[in-house]
Amino acid sequence: MSAASARRVLLLDDEEAILLPTAKYFRTLGCTVDIAREAEEAEALISHRRYDLAILDLRVTRYGGTEGLEVLREIRRRDHATRVILLSGYVSSEVEAEARALGADSVLPKPQPLPHLAHLAFVLMGGSRG
Amino acid sequence: MGERCLLDRILQPGSLSVHFQPVMDVRALQPHYFEALIRGPRGTSAENPTILFEYARRKSRESIVDRACVRAILDAARGLPRGSTLGINVHASTLAMDEGFVEFLGAAVNARGICPRRLVIEVVEHAEPGDVPAFRDALAGLRGLGARIALDDVGLGHSNFLMILECRPDYFKVDRYFVDGCHQDSHRRAVLASVARLARPFHARVVAEGVEDPADLTALARLGITLVQGHVFGLPAPVGVTLWPSRPQARS
Repeated sequence: MSAASARRVLLLDDEEAILLPTAKYFRTLGCTVDIAREAEEAEALISHRRYDLAILDLRVTRYGGTEGLEVLREIRRRDHATRVILLSGYVSSEVEAEARALGADSVLPKPQPLPHLAHLAFVLMGGSRG
Repeated sequence: MGERCLLDRILQPGSLSVHFQPVMDVRALQPHYFEALIRGPRGTSAENPTILFEYARRKSRESIVDRACVRAILDAARGLPRGSTLGINVHASTLAMDEGFVEFLGAAVNARGICPRRLVIEVVEHAEPGDVPAFRDALAGLRGLGARIALDDVGLGHSNFLMILECRPDYFKVDRYFVDGCHQDSHRRAVLASVARLARPFHARVVAEGVEDPADLTALARLGITLVQGHVFGLPAPVGVTLWPSRPQARS
């Protein structure tokens, strides 16, 4: 997996049961992984470094927010070539349309089997715009 | 159960660690003061101070984080050489928006037996301070305590002429961007010379940050800039690691 050694991945999720195994899985594939549990933490990380891939949970509060879209917007505002996968427990057609308009590369229901998520991630990173 | 939010971890007592880096007077070859540099909770993204403070700003929690940093710094400063002057970074927005900050700082230094005259408050900003009258009041309050004022990152972002006039700083801290490589870049030296000229009528001293090349030291000295900070005099380090050999304190 030497091709993955330089890949830097950002994960945003407030569910530990998803966040930590996903981080571990991508690390075993040779990626450098940063994790964020809040949108502001993800945005602070984005302000500091560039990522090849961001996997963003749409909703990271209990109050029905769409913070994942805000983080996606921040990524694109910085003109990053970062590939973005947006995950959500319920993907409405409106959210998917908005995410696509903001530049999400993929919008998927949550949870996703890790091998499937990783496969998609590497397909996207293989065609990284960077 | 989800992990507590990052802000809670930052504010947990004992979670912040403090490094110090000397601002050196190259004429005296002694530290002029020690700048305190915060590290966030270990094992979190905020261990990196850039991310810590960007996160605090995005949460609009600069003030509460600044207060936590002040407590951690003052506790750690007990291990500095006796009589050392201490540089503490504070957001301009904290000074403008946190009405009780000056009183808090005064009480915090008194409680630890630190003379406020040994404080240099380094004003940092990533946005306009907002309530300018309140900002001025806070600066006056800090000076009333006996603290001196440094303006951080002069020449970058919001640390501009407006902030220079509002702060009337005792120290102009020039970002490494202007310093690094100045010995071989006449344009950088021109900017540094202009800052040195600008500082004179304020009776202020210029601090050059990010000095890593001894050749830059020589160029800075020729411009009259003799306070420097950077790897050439040591990396930021926690108390206990030798920051600079202490010398016997002169009796006053």
